[in-house]
Amino acid sequence: MRIVVIALLVIVVVAVRIYRRRRRRSNIARRIHARSNAIRSDVGLVVAREVRERFRGRIFKIGTLFILVVVAAAIVIPVLHSGKVKTQEVGIVGTLSASLRSTITSTAASADVTVHVVTESSVETAKSDLASGRINAAILNGREILVNSPLSPSDNSAGTQLVRAVAENLGIAEAFQAAHLSPSQSEVLKAAKALPITSVKPGKGSPGKATSIIGSILIFIMLSQYNTWILMGVMEEKSSRVIEVLLSAVRPIQLLTGKVLGIGLVALTQASVIVAFALILSKAVGSSLLHGTAPLVVVSTLVWLVLGYAFYSWLYAAAGSMVERQDQVQSLALPLSLPMIFGYIMALTGASSGSPSALLKVLGYLPPTAPFAMPVLVGFKAVTWWEFLGSAMISVICTIGIARAAATVYRRAILRTGGRIRLREVFRRTAR
Amino acid sequence: MQRSLHIHVADSRPLTADILSAMANSLHVEGISRRFGTLTALDNLSFSVPTGQVVGFLGPNGAGKTTTMRAIFGLTDLDAGTITWKGSVVGQAERRRFGYMPEERGLYPGMLVGEQLQYLGQLHGMGASDAAAASTSWLERLGIADRADSKVEALSHGNQQRVQMAAALLHGPELLVLDEPLAGLDPSGIDDIGEVLTEQARSGCCVIFSSHQLDQVEDLCETVVIIDKGRLVVTGEVDELATSGPRRLVVRVEGDRTASWAEGVAGVSVSEVKGGEVRLVLDAGVDSDGVLQLARSAGRVTEFVFERRRLSELFREAVK
Repeated sequence: MRIVVIALLVIVVVAVRIYRRRRRRSNIARRIHARSNAIRSDVGLVVAREVRERFRGRIFKIGTLFILVVVAAAIVIPVLHSGKVKTQEVGIVGTLSASLRSTITSTAASADVTVHVVTESSVETAKSDLASGRINAAILNGREILVNSPLSPSDNSAGTQLVRAVAENLGIAEAFQAAHLSPSQSEVLKAAKALPITSVKPGKGSPGKATSIIGSILIFIMLSQYNTWILMGVMEEKSSRVIEVLLSAVRPIQLLTGKVLGIGLVALTQASVIVAFALILSKAVGSSLLHGTAPLVVVSTLVWLVLGYAFYSWLYAAAGSMVERQDQVQSLALPLSLPMIFGYIMALTGASSGSPSALLKVLGYLPPTAPFAMPVLVGFKAVTWWEFLGSAMISVICTIGIARAAATVYRRAILRTGGRIRLREVFRRTAR
Repeated sequence: MQRSLHIHVADSRPLTADILSAMANSLHVEGISRRFGTLTALDNLSFSVPTGQVVGFLGPNGAGKTTTMRAIFGLTDLDAGTITWKGSVVGQAERRRFGYMPEERGLYPGMLVGEQLQYLGQLHGMGASDAAAASTSWLERLGIADRADSKVEALSHGNQQRVQMAAALLHGPELLVLDEPLAGLDPSGIDDIGEVLTEQARSGCCVIFSSHQLDQVEDLCETVVIIDKGRLVVTGEVDELATSGPRRLVVRVEGDRTASWAEGVAGVSVSEVKGGEVRLVLDAGVDSDGVLQLARSAGRVTEFVFERRRLSELFREAVK
C-alpha cells in the first residue's frame, strides 16, 4: 500500500514539474503548434479510414450481432427459468376438508405457484387425467397423493416441488388434527422456521460473480479480436506494399498511432453498445446481473478493456510489422496471446472459486493480466479504489514504455521485406 | 565527353555553372551510398533532375534504381550523401508535395478505388472535396472512371497500374517519381502513360521514371540518367547523347550488295554491310556530301540517313 501511495506522489510531482516546464517553453510550443496540428490531422485521417473500413466490414457486423445474441441469452434465459409461473392442476378424489384445501393453496402460494383444484369422479378418471397430463397430481381422500411417474430426487421443477410440499404439509396438517391441537397452537407450529445460518466468509453466490465472468469473457473476446485486427492490418499494409505509398506522405509513428486509435475506437464503440444493450435488457427483464457489486464490475470491465487494449495493441502492431505472410503470423501471435490466455483462465477460476486467491491479487497488478484479474477482484470487493488506481497507473506507465519500443520496432521493421524479421536484428541496426 | 553538350559523366569533372543553376529548381542527388551487408547498392551516386522534362532513370536490373527512388522518399536509410529539393534537404514536408509510384504496386486491395484515391490525396494535404474531385478527374483522364466504386483487387493488372498512377498524380506533385511505370503495359497503355508524363513535365513538374529496358523508353525520355552497379554511367539530354560521338550513316544503293564504293574513302570506316545496306562511321572532318557523291557514282541512292546511337549502345560503350 505504501509503495503505491509513494508511486502516486512521485507521479503527481513529476507531472507538476513537466507542466511548469512546458509553460516556460510556451513560445516554442506556439511555434510547433502549427506543425503538430498537421500531424494530428494526418493521424485523424488514418483513424477515420480505420473506423470506416472496420465498421463497413461484414466480420464486424456479424460479430457484434453474435455477441449481442449471446449476451441477451445470458441475461434472459436465467430470468425466464426462475420466473416461470405455471398453473398446476391438482385433482381431488373423494372428500377433502376446507382446512386441507386451504393448506394446498397456501403451500402453492409460498412456492410461488398458482394452483387450480379440480374434482375427479373416481380414481380411474384421475389416473387417465394424470396420464393425459390434464392434472399434475391427484389427492385420494386426503390420504394419498397420486402422480403419473415417480418423482426423481434431482427433479427441482416447480410442479415436483409443489407435490412434495403439498404431501408434507397435508401430512403435518393431518398430524395436527390427530393431536387435537387448538387452531392457535397449530398456527404457531405452522409458523416454525429454521434458524438462519450465516458464514464468516462471504458466500459463493456473490451478485458480482456472474457479471465478473461475463466481463472476463467479453474482455478476452474483444482483446483477441481487435489485437488480431491490428496485427493483420499492419501486416496487410506491409505485404501489399501500400506502406511505401503511405510513408511517402506520413511518418511511421502517425500511421501506427492512427491505426491503434482507430481500431481502439471501434472496439470501444462495440463494447459500449454491448454494455448498454446488456444494461437496458437487464433492467427490462429484472435480471439480478446488476445487483450488489455488479455495476462496479461493469465500470471496471470497461476501464480495463481500454487499458488492456492500449497495452496489447502496440505489441501486436510491432509484431505485425515484422511479418508479411499469414504463415508467419502464427509463430508470433501465440507467444503474444499466452499472457492473455493465462490471465483469462485465472480470472475465470478466481471468479468461480468464491474467494480471490493471492495469485489473482498479484496478477491484478501486472499489466498483461490485470485487465482480466482486476474486474474479478472488484466483484469480490477485494481491492480498494486506490489499489485499483495504482494498478491502472502501473498499466499506463508500462503501456507508454511498450508503445515507445513498439514504435521503434515498427519504424525499423515495416519497410524491410523478404521474410520474418527477428527482434535482435531490429535493435542491432543503428537508428536513422 | 564535351562540355558544350552538358553531359555529365561520373567522376569526370566539376559541375558547370548552368547545371548548378538548374539544380536550384530541381532534385539533386549528391554522393549517396548504401550497403546491404556485403552488397553495395549505391556507390557515391550523384545526379540532378531538371524541371520541365521527362527524365528516364535507366540501368540494368540491380543497378540501384529502386534503392535511389526509395531513398528520395526516406524509405531506405542512406550510409552517406544527401538528397535536396530546390536547394533544401528533402524532409517530410517536401515529400508530401512529391508523387510516388513504387515498383511493387501499393494499394489497399479491399478498398474502393475512389475512396482510396481520396484518402491518399488527403494524406498529401488536400481537402476532402478537392481530393474527391481530383480523384474523379484523374480516373476519367486515365479511362477508368467507371471503376471508382470497385475494389482495387477486382481490377485487371493494367487498371490497377492506372489507379496507382492516379494516386501519384492526384495532389498535383512538384516531383513525380515512378518506378518502372511501363512494366507489364500493352503498347496503348505505354502511350497513355507516356502522354501523361510529357503533359506533367510541360506543366512544370519534375518527372523521373525508371526502366531497365533502355531502348523501349528512348522515345519517351528527354533526359536520361543511366546507372550501373550503384554508380552513374552517363547523364544528359537524349538527343545530344544520341547524336554525340562519331556520326553514323546508313546508305543503300540500288542493286549494290557489296558497297565496294565506300571502301578506301578517307575518314570513313565501314561498320556493317547487311542486306544491301551499309553502315558507315564518319570521322569528325568528313563531309557527308562527298560520301553522297561517291554513293551516287555507284548507282541510284535509295537510302541516305544519319543514324542515332541507341541508348543501349550508349550504355554498352560507357561501361566498356
